[in-house]
Amino acid sequence: MNDIILLLPVFLPAVGAAASYIVGRKSKPLRDHLADAVGIAEFIVCAVLLAFVCAGRTFSLSLPSICGRGLSFKLDGFRALYALIAALMWMMTTVFSREYLAHYRNRNRYYLFSLLTCGATAGVFLSNDFFTTFIFFEIMSFTSYVMVVQDEKPAAMRAGTTYLAVAVIGGMVMLMGLFLMEQRLGTLDFDRLHTAVEALADKSVLYLPGALILFGFGAKAGMFPLHIWLPKAHPVAPAPASALLSGILTKAGVFGVLVLTVRVFLHDALWGKAILALGVITMVLGAVLAVFSIDLKRTLACSSMSQIGFILVGVGMQELLGEENALAVWGTGLHMVNHSLFKLVLFMCAGVVFMNLHELELNKIRGWGRHKPLLNVCFLMGALGIAGVPLWNGYISKTLLHESIVEYIELLAEAGGSTGIYHAVEWLFLLSGGLTAAYMTKLYVAIFVEKPDKPVEKKPYMNWQSALAIGLPALALPVMGLFPTPLMGGAARLMQGFMNGEGPEHAVAWFSLANLKGALISLIVGVAVYFLVIRLLLMRRDERGKKFYVNLWPAWLDLENLLYRPLIEKLLPFLGALVCRILDNLTDWGVALLNHTLLRPKPIPPREDADYEPGDYTPAVRRSYTFQRIAGSVSYSLLLFGLGFCAAMGFLILILLTK
Amino acid sequence: MKALMIAAVLLPALSGALLPLWRFKKRLYREIYVETAVLLTSLLVLCLLLCRPEGSLTVFRLTDKLHIVLAFDGLTGVFAGLVAFLWPLSTLYAFEYIKHEGGDDRFFAFYTVSYGVTLGIAQSANLITLYLFYELLTLATLPLVMHTGDRRSVRAGMKYLGFSIGGAACAFLGLIVLYSYGDPSLTFTYGGFMGDGMPRRTLVLASYLLCFFGFGVKAAVFPFHAWLPSAGVAPTPVTALLHAVAVVKAGAFAVMRVTFFCFGASLLYGTWAQYTVMAFAVFTIVFGSAMALREQHLKRRLAYSTVSNLSYILFGVTLMTPAGLAGALSHMLFHGVMKITLFFCAGAVMYKTHREFVPELTGLGRYMPVTFTAFAVASAALVGVPLLPGFLSKWNLATAALAQGGPLPLLGVAALLLSAILTACYLFTPVVNAFFPPVGEGGHGLEMARDPNWYMKLPFVILMIAMLALGIGSKGLLELLSRIAAGTL
Repeated sequence: MNDIILLLPVFLPAVGAAASYIVGRKSKPLRDHLADAVGIAEFIVCAVLLAFVCAGRTFSLSLPSICGRGLSFKLDGFRALYALIAALMWMMTTVFSREYLAHYRNRNRYYLFSLLTCGATAGVFLSNDFFTTFIFFEIMSFTSYVMVVQDEKPAAMRAGTTYLAVAVIGGMVMLMGLFLMEQRLGTLDFDRLHTAVEALADKSVLYLPGALILFGFGAKAGMFPLHIWLPKAHPVAPAPASALLSGILTKAGVFGVLVLTVRVFLHDALWGKAILALGVITMVLGAVLAVFSIDLKRTLACSSMSQIGFILVGVGMQELLGEENALAVWGTGLHMVNHSLFKLVLFMCAGVVFMNLHELELNKIRGWGRHKPLLNVCFLMGALGIAGVPLWNGYISKTLLHESIVEYIELLAEAGGSTGIYHAVEWLFLLSGGLTAAYMTKLYVAIFVEKPDKPVEKKPYMNWQSALAIGLPALALPVMGLFPTPLMGGAARLMQGFMNGEGPEHAVAWFSLANLKGALISLIVGVAVYFLVIRLLLMRRDERGKKFYVNLWPAWLDLENLLYRPLIEKLLPFLGALVCRILDNLTDWGVALLNHTLLRPKPIPPREDADYEPGDYTPAVRRSYTFQRIAGSVSYSLLLFGLGFCAAMGFLILILLTK
Repeated sequence: MKALMIAAVLLPALSGALLPLWRFKKRLYREIYVETAVLLTSLLVLCLLLCRPEGSLTVFRLTDKLHIVLAFDGLTGVFAGLVAFLWPLSTLYAFEYIKHEGGDDRFFAFYTVSYGVTLGIAQSANLITLYLFYELLTLATLPLVMHTGDRRSVRAGMKYLGFSIGGAACAFLGLIVLYSYGDPSLTFTYGGFMGDGMPRRTLVLASYLLCFFGFGVKAAVFPFHAWLPSAGVAPTPVTALLHAVAVVKAGAFAVMRVTFFCFGASLLYGTWAQYTVMAFAVFTIVFGSAMALREQHLKRRLAYSTVSNLSYILFGVTLMTPAGLAGALSHMLFHGVMKITLFFCAGAVMYKTHREFVPELTGLGRYMPVTFTAFAVASAALVGVPLLPGFLSKWNLATAALAQGGPLPLLGVAALLLSAILTACYLFTPVVNAFFPPVGEGGHGLEMARDPNWYMKLPFVILMIAMLALGIGSKGLLELLSRIAAGTL
């Protein structure tokens, strides 16, 4: 059965992109309206589709004649929800970018590529085989590049290059993985992958392709050690683009990791441990980087990295828990959703700051947010949500993830296994939660509490459309946190089927003491870190005794500048160029060698006859001279004889070999 | 019907040869004459493609066994269709471009003659006919390479001549072995004419190597690639059409004929000869891309990129499976369309601004939007961005290689992907610099730079549409190619 309707979320933005570009060449206000309309239409389409899916319908579409191998799409609960979130994010950021980008150049280009990316992202989330995923994933990577470099400033170009390099290398490595996967399984169709894996006698052959595919998706998700683009690209992109990059493009990477995990390596403990390890490193490293950062958007970017780490921990726990992974499945899905919403709100708040001040460094923007209640509340909602404070939505998903680790420790203890490592994971998890609270406090205090260096003039700082675009998602965060069972539980039930998970056996007591304990530990850690580390160690006093923020993270400690760039820009090109130049000239050198030895032209001999003119020296004369010289020279005769002899012997050997 | 085959060879050959006699009063008259001849020829090819003539047409007899014979099979259709699509576009482009080179009569005479000769190669029914046209192609294109007439182009021409003639001589030795061990008429038969009982003698395999490298010279396989970047001194329509499509694809085409239609894949499959040629193809893939990356002259960079991409085709051929051949054929078609676009853009830039080095392109994207959009689309296609054709042919080649298994094909797939990364590096750098110049750079002295007129723009637009169409809707074409590669069409 073919539901052609599924093409709508993918191609509506693409068509809208082209239309808005054409319109934008004539009239800018009309283009802005059109882009908003496309975003809203996309949201409505996705919402209607989700309504159908909630009513129990599944959509699928395959187009075997497109792109050589054919595309295949499917819409189930998880994908419908994520398509809706993508559409929501695009709708809000498109509305917001009208005011944010008002003074930018090349806005036509921005809208064109933003809407194209929207279509491609929808394509990724709706795809039902790795081939389709890959196609839309690559398109998404390339079109989003233009959004990253919108500014065209040197920092943006440099970050863009990193982004593009990670995308290209990640894409190609993933493609290699897909080739191997298809060769070993015979299919890339999500619905058939699991059966194909079951039929395989030796499952260990899948680890290599799995790792290669993980490389590609992990690079987009911002997973360690491929996170390098994330803290660079987010701060330089325009705020609406940062919100999209952080909130939804990274989730496209997570989507790939999830598919790989639940369709190919279902309940595979080794795979789970690898993902868990990478997740823990990403989670802790991101949080630590965020604590050190003194740039608003960079802090948020590092925070994204850290939250992706939380999600990956959830993915890893799903694998380790095997059949009893209900909590991990719910936690993973919900934290994806929550993180998209947090970052939508927070990056747009950062965008409001930037569009008024054109600064992001905490020392320069501090105090600017005082007496701006709307912005204050919106930012606070995002901060409380992401920090996992009870009654906000982040608490729900973090608690689920935490409980899944606790559950696994209990299971291991029952089975008599060693639980030391997982206790460490649990503590690192709580520590990262604490760091999250700490760096969000740092941002909040800097912007909204501390006194500004010079008084802020009172003037309107955003229009009502932007206020609406920020306020509505911000409002959703506490609402979701206050009514977890219908809202969050409902969302999780929609998503669990995709992840091959079951719901928890009995209703979750969201606010029981056991569940609150983890959040409280995190918050205490957060308060301790904020006062002991950030206020004491990461702030200095200037000559007037006023405290200011310092970035103590050593500048050289940067994986990109320390390792990747020298390797890719210096070492590999040097070696490659050396080898290639030598080989390239090999034939030429051979010819040159012959020219200077065997084929060297004879010097023109002086002529005795007086009436000789240089013009007489015809080729025929030269040939006769050459011939005389050859005939007259013993060494040449010997050389020629030797060559002829070698050839004859060679021929004899060839004959003997073939007989 | 069969007479159409010879007409397709003779029409452009004669109209080209007679061109200097007419002494056109106006540039426009010559343009009409040339474009009509080329379009008519393309129409003839279209007729041939639609109503495929059965059987073969003997033109004349060299000896009682060796005949010059034309035929039209599936493989012919692929190559002839490709050149018939690109030749009229490229002629249109050349009208404008050659204005700043001069020597129009000589140029268009040889340019049109080459069309006939290329169609001769495509329609050859046996190896001796192929060999004849192959040599003719070298001679017909030589004046085009040397067109500028300065020292550099004459040296490049001599290099081209030396490599091609030398290669053909190697191939000739192989041809003698085929003559004496196989069918003396050398008629192409799918699966080869060496007979089933042919033992895998070293002499036979060695002669395959000679043929491969001999014909491979035109396909620029390492270590016989050096002529191709040097030949870039020719006027851009020549580099674009001949050194990205007709001549080099003729080399690849000849290798396909020799491998699948003379020796036969079953004779060669799994022998050291196969591994040797595959190793060279795999190496050339990475080598060409790496050389392109460090080359700063735009046309030479594209030429090295051609070196690499031709070896994609040769890699597909050396897999010696129908799937491999199908992948090779698809890349032959797609690469032709993509690379000619890139060369056209490079030529348009040279024509309008006289800039030829990559760093000089900085900031040009704003002034020549159509040219650089075409360049960007073709670059993305060549890198293998999905929805564009390069991705499909790479996918086909890689799946064919993996279906065969074994370490060397696997290495080949890795080489394809590595080369794709390198391609992204050497093509996206000019694209990004052209559209996003670093602050304060670019734009100096460019105020007068504009997109060229419709003679050049029309080919860009048609080629861009063709790329998108091939990328999205080529399922039927690919199935056709796999039937051709399996010998059933």
